[in-house]
Amino acid sequence: MTMLEFDHLRVEINGRPILRDVTLSVAAGEAVGLVGESGSGKSMTVKSVLRLLPPGARATGTVRFGDTDVHTLDGAGLRRMRSQDVAMVFQDPRATVNPVRTIGDFLTEVLRDQGVSRSDARTRAAGLLADVGVDHVARRLRQRPHELSGGLLQRVVIAAALATSPKLILADEPTTALDVTTQEEVVAILNERRREHGSALLFISHDLELAAAVCDRIAVMYAGEIVEILPADRLHEDARHPYTQALLRSRPGTVAPGERLATVPGSPQSAFDAPAGCVFADRCPQAAGLCRDVRPALLPIDSGLAACHLLPRETPSVA
Amino acid sequence: MLLEVRDLRKVFKGRFVAVDGVSFSVPTGGSLAVVGESGSGKTTCARIITGLEKATSGTVTIEGERRASTVQMVFQDPYQSLDRRQTVTSCLTEVLAHHTTLDRAGRAARSAELLNLVGLDERHGPALPRALSGGQRQRVAIARALAADPKLLVLDEAVAALDVSIQAQILNLLVDARAATGVAYLFITHDLSVVQHVCEDVVVMHRGRVVESGTVAEVLSAPSDPYTRKLIGSVPRPGWVPTREVNRVC
Repeated sequence: MTMLEFDHLRVEINGRPILRDVTLSVAAGEAVGLVGESGSGKSMTVKSVLRLLPPGARATGTVRFGDTDVHTLDGAGLRRMRSQDVAMVFQDPRATVNPVRTIGDFLTEVLRDQGVSRSDARTRAAGLLADVGVDHVARRLRQRPHELSGGLLQRVVIAAALATSPKLILADEPTTALDVTTQEEVVAILNERRREHGSALLFISHDLELAAAVCDRIAVMYAGEIVEILPADRLHEDARHPYTQALLRSRPGTVAPGERLATVPGSPQSAFDAPAGCVFADRCPQAAGLCRDVRPALLPIDSGLAACHLLPRETPSVA
Repeated sequence: MLLEVRDLRKVFKGRFVAVDGVSFSVPTGGSLAVVGESGSGKTTCARIITGLEKATSGTVTIEGERRASTVQMVFQDPYQSLDRRQTVTSCLTEVLAHHTTLDRAGRAARSAELLNLVGLDERHGPALPRALSGGQRQRVAIARALAADPKLLVLDEAVAALDVSIQAQILNLLVDARAATGVAYLFITHDLSVVQHVCEDVVVMHRGRVVESGTVAEVLSAPSDPYTRKLIGSVPRPGWVPTREVNRVC
């Protein structure tokens, strides 16, 4: 069953495109990683699910959550979706949690809103914290955000996100602000709890390896478009789009020390600056004439889908 | 030795021990990585070495007479480390006027050379930082640091804020710049794969202390300290499965 579906989503702000064409689906219980560099439109794609787009933004195409088109939701429907069905985890936990309220207040707010009694909400909040590996639970509930480290606070945010057993979790770079050893803990917890609740996950990251370890499928974004989608465990073997390959090659550690890293000339472009044809044509080492003018479609190749003119395509056999 | 750090100790506000008896050295033209997580004291060490912070005890010995022309620093965020009202050329010539005896024409020629070395050209000279991308700004910051013709460059998380494809360009640039000028690097970072690419030696810091040191090849392939092992094990890589240390705390 499809939990979340983007169908030719396009977002413009004052006539400038931010997203050009996003078509992607996330099945119930599935984890999909959205990977790309800054400005590629990852966050905007995720925000469009909760209709958190900036003022002046105009979206065309559809975003469906379950059976509903999120653009048709009224105020009450939107509020219901944001508070119960979909949870969001942002990069910076300090910007998410109200600094003057206690951790207990933060965790029980949603539950109280749904009519759970104060003492029950308190008990459940304690259970949620214990589940994400937070110690001294009773004391933590009385503490305020500044008394907790970043890693601990992000666990609190994850606990809050799971409080309502959401059908879908949107995680926007949830571990980027954390140390690597803390990152490992936090992703492991997020994934374990998600599986237990059967929630679907849309995981945004700039780190291909991290996304591959967390997710079932990987979607690579560049300049407001998805250029390749492939199974996470086939990332290294089946990546066919020149941009995905360039990203994989540019990580230090892929070559012997002292050797030159393969680089992509230029810098990441926004949807507005990218050429009319293939979005990657300006930086692609193999770009040909066709690439600049004609938009390549996202077509099946090996185990995934890639949008590139240069890949060999099987000609459809006529039965 | 170009840089010799001995028994460095830094106590903040009389009680918080940020750096606790740290010693390491960088040979002329060498490249040492200081690896650790936030709060490990690595940035405090860098700030003491560059003179931005005073040590509570311990010594820092640097070859040469004036610290400013021997040691230069590149910071993490090029959006904050450049003056937003100063053009690229003026940023470079200011440093040259201060640290060299070149005349006006000589400074102009040298700043063009420096731009070239970091992969920029004359077109970027009159630009203000706001007209440049993050990667280009970090190139300017590196050019500015090299303008003083330092013997040691302290790079504090200098590639951490950059996109992957830009990070690769800057890492190549750092390897080239070292080959071209013979400058030594003290590379402060949390990213082990970056260490492997740019450095020969590494010290691993944890809670203000050095827990392990050696050549990069030795330490990364056969770590002896449990913390180093944990750090290496947490780096996402093909086939990596994230695991939690403690299963459930009640």
